[in-house]
Amino acid sequence: MAGNNPPSDQEPWPQLWRYPAIYGSSGLLALLAILLGVYVNPLLGLATAGLAALSGLTVHRLDRQLRAAQQEKYCVDEQLLQSQKLAAVGELAAGLAHEINNPLAIIRQEAEWLLFLCRQSDPLDMTEAITGLRQILKQVDRSREITANLLNFARRQKPVAQALNLNRLVGDMVRLVAKEAEQRHIQIVTDLAPDLPSLSSDAPLLRQVVLNLLNNALQAIGREGTITIRTQVLGADQIGLEIRDTGCGIPKEHLPRIFDPFFTTKPSGQGTGLGLSICHGIIERLGGAITVASEVGQGSTFTIKLPITLTHQEI
Amino acid sequence: METFRILIVDDEDDFREAIMKRLRARKVEVAGANSGLQALEMLDNQDFDVVVLDVKMPGMDGIETLRAIKQKKPLVEVIMLTGHASVESGIQGMQLGAFDYVMKPVALDDLMDKLRQAYERRMLQLEYGRQNL
Repeated sequence: MAGNNPPSDQEPWPQLWRYPAIYGSSGLLALLAILLGVYVNPLLGLATAGLAALSGLTVHRLDRQLRAAQQEKYCVDEQLLQSQKLAAVGELAAGLAHEINNPLAIIRQEAEWLLFLCRQSDPLDMTEAITGLRQILKQVDRSREITANLLNFARRQKPVAQALNLNRLVGDMVRLVAKEAEQRHIQIVTDLAPDLPSLSSDAPLLRQVVLNLLNNALQAIGREGTITIRTQVLGADQIGLEIRDTGCGIPKEHLPRIFDPFFTTKPSGQGTGLGLSICHGIIERLGGAITVASEVGQGSTFTIKLPITLTHQEI
Repeated sequence: METFRILIVDDEDDFREAIMKRLRARKVEVAGANSGLQALEMLDNQDFDVVVLDVKMPGMDGIETLRAIKQKKPLVEVIMLTGHASVESGIQGMQLGAFDYVMKPVALDDLMDKLRQAYERRMLQLEYGRQNL
């Protein structure tokens, strides 16, 4: 939908270049009308001239209707995009509610139990009380982590630029997932540009991105397949990082929302749907861009472009 | 280079002592803790630049300890060390703000590199904090 530019407002004049053959034949008819009028019969000339005008006008009107229809389609597309966004917000809220409700339920259980203990037993069973309070603290921590992750989207810690070797960073993260990949008969192929310059960027943030994308690729494949991770020099000030898998692929209708927070296709309880949105947020903060290309049944390719030097814009 | 202070947290005494000995041989100031709780106590009373933290420990595990360290001292850098790779805990660790997540065994040269980078990051952050006081 991104490439769908609004058609220009209806122009009052016929746009001759849009239908050269038709307007051209109208022109030829007009020429014929003059010739006929002058050399054969003025009446015949007049009739032909009328025909020429009629054909020209008809085409012009059809063209205007076509453009009006295009305009309408564009509006509908816009509305669709808006409603998709609203749906994403709804899903975000639902995801958040679900994630927070679980610890809340446990906290409530424990609090009620403690209240019961306080009222019933004298003296209070301290070990029991302490166990309950510990559980409550644990659940509060769990909730706080969810909100902290969410806040990462809004209030973002400033990246720290340091010299780093991306090939090495990629190698480290591949090593981390290698065992799990092996167990699932997934081959990881690395294709690392030997002439890749040293980057000035935020290493821990990039590790997070690479690890998340590798994990996604593993999950998309499930068992048996190949993950290819590639680095390349894209120009004097840009490098590329590509992670390709031979997994299940992403349905076309999910692609526009794949980087939305809490958007997930995994069953509830498996993954919060934050992984890709975190990656997206990080890459943007690092001045880069992340895109995805995917085909169901064929696999997905995530492509990242990163500046060689992180310039500190105000974030 | 200014000497920096490292805290090694690992419940395996032999591993901890060995790595401390080798780091000392490289003129690094290093202390050890055998549990997450002990590490937190030491962080309360002493200054450290980088913590090397074992992921799998009895009691308070590495991830819990990492969370507590980042709460207490967000600018202390933490390198997680793990015996067996768990992708999930790796992601969790990085998300909680670890500097790196490293598989055991790690060559000392590689660990030194990572320690230096973590230390450099801490210095950059401290510098940035000073500029924005």
